[in-house]
Amino acid sequence: MTELTWPLVGEITARTLRMAFFSLALSLSIGLPIGILLGRSHFRGRRAVVGIVNAGMGAPPVVVGLAVALLLWRNGPLGGLGLMYSMEAMVFAQVVIALPLVVGITLAAVGALDSDWDLQARTLGIPAAWRAWLLLREIRLGLLAAVIAALGSILSGVGAVLMVGGNLAGETRVLTTSIVMFTEMGEFERSIALACVLLGLMLMLSAVLTAIQQAGRR
Amino acid sequence: MTEPALEARDLIVRRGDRKGRFELDVSALGLFAGEVLAVLGHNGAGKSTLLRALAGLEAPAAGRIVRRANGPVTMVFQRPIVFAGTVEHNLRVALLSAGLSRDEAEHRTRESLERFGIARLAARNAATLSGGETRRLTLARAFALRPAVLLLDEPFEDLDAAGQESLSLDLRRAILETGVAVAVVTHDLRRALLLADRIAVLESGSLVQCGAREAVLNRPVDLDVARIVGMSNLIAGEVSATSGDGICWLEIDASHRIPVSRAPAAGTPVWIGIRPEHLKVDVGRGEGIPIGKGVLRHLVSDGVAATLTLDWAGFELRTHLIAGRGLARTLAPGDSLTLSVRPEEVHLIERR
Repeated sequence: MTELTWPLVGEITARTLRMAFFSLALSLSIGLPIGILLGRSHFRGRRAVVGIVNAGMGAPPVVVGLAVALLLWRNGPLGGLGLMYSMEAMVFAQVVIALPLVVGITLAAVGALDSDWDLQARTLGIPAAWRAWLLLREIRLGLLAAVIAALGSILSGVGAVLMVGGNLAGETRVLTTSIVMFTEMGEFERSIALACVLLGLMLMLSAVLTAIQQAGRR
Repeated sequence: MTEPALEARDLIVRRGDRKGRFELDVSALGLFAGEVLAVLGHNGAGKSTLLRALAGLEAPAAGRIVRRANGPVTMVFQRPIVFAGTVEHNLRVALLSAGLSRDEAEHRTRESLERFGIARLAARNAATLSGGETRRLTLARAFALRPAVLLLDEPFEDLDAAGQESLSLDLRRAILETGVAVAVVTHDLRRALLLADRIAVLESGSLVQCGAREAVLNRPVDLDVARIVGMSNLIAGEVSATSGDGICWLEIDASHRIPVSRAPAAGTPVWIGIRPEHLKVDVGRGEGIPIGKGVLRHLVSDGVAATLTLDWAGFELRTHLIAGRGLARTLAPGDSLTLSVRPEEVHLIERR
């Protein structure tokens, strides 16, 4: 029987935040450039790529978890890395789930800009680095929507995380997986306690993000 | 003659997509400091492509764009594009990114906003401006860079008549004060005339005429140019005989003849072109030579100008009067008026 002490709650919460941070950082640093490029360029097969992104936004996490598990399994293509049931495996799965959200929302935000936006900035002699900064400012509402969506799916995801992380105590046990575990054990009080922590975390983060998003609106 | 600030030489730009191919072919076109070149043409004639090529946004298939001016070449697009943030930010970001000091950027921002009458909007969110204010912002931003060449794509689009006029006055003054070389593209002749010193006419990708404003307006090289530059009285005729009495007369048929300053050889098929403002009604003999009576069919007035449609014994002719003054107040359809023209204001285009 696992005793639920405050230090343990703290440890699980910290691990959850660590997983969320790395997953979010990776999703954004891969997804933003892809979304911007996809939104501002025209090439053959662009529609197909956008279609894949849109499908990915609705991909069932359990299926993603299965796919990642098959990849990381001892005899799988990436089995040699020995990542199954680790923090890295959970982050991997979370990125696969969150990436289409980041790309899709960035793509939509960038696509809403005037098609001559880049040309206008270029003919004003604005250098590339400044143009990138201006572009991010331009799409900041969409950008924060992408962060909120990605963070939400990362913090609340359980299917994929359970499959590739395994809910190992002290290693891959996060808030969602422990809630599932305690519920299965009939320990509803503990489930409810951890659910409150998760909810509080989510509310706090979305409050901060909403404040940032709405700042400077006049 | 001074050298052009920006010049297109033997320029060919090809654009192709699934719908078809388009080729822009301009052998020589120059923009001069302190002067406005209006580029006219129908939709799809290649006006915007030419402007983008001059801005360096279209890679030419042949020929080149020669830049002689020391200073930026900048362009203002047909749909005004502003950056998220305040009005000031829109100018400042362009200036600071060009490496100017904060003080200099601040100074130029003020100067340019004042020049276009929007200094009071400096701290406003650019996204909340009206259509006219947004146009002014995009122009102020371009002028703040102190460009040597400014390329304007339909700068008066979506503005009402009063807005067009006041913006054209500010723009005209800014061009005079800064000595920038300007090309303005528009499909609307009246808007072009608000600014133009010189006029270039494009027809399906080719530059068919380019010259001083009055020269192009009064002496278009072909029928299409004549229509584009507003020479709306066009009559097909043939030089059948030219007769004397000190004036050279061109006979159209038994009952119509028109005085011309010089006529081509007899038998040459021509278009006879008279600008509406050059066809006079009921004036003294000193102001033109009478060509007969015209019956007023319609009178349309927009409050500034009245356009008269007249029947010259079978030919339809148009002329303009100032609305609400003199003749324009008393005329009614059915009235018969004496029509006069000056020989030097009758333009002949060879018919092929």
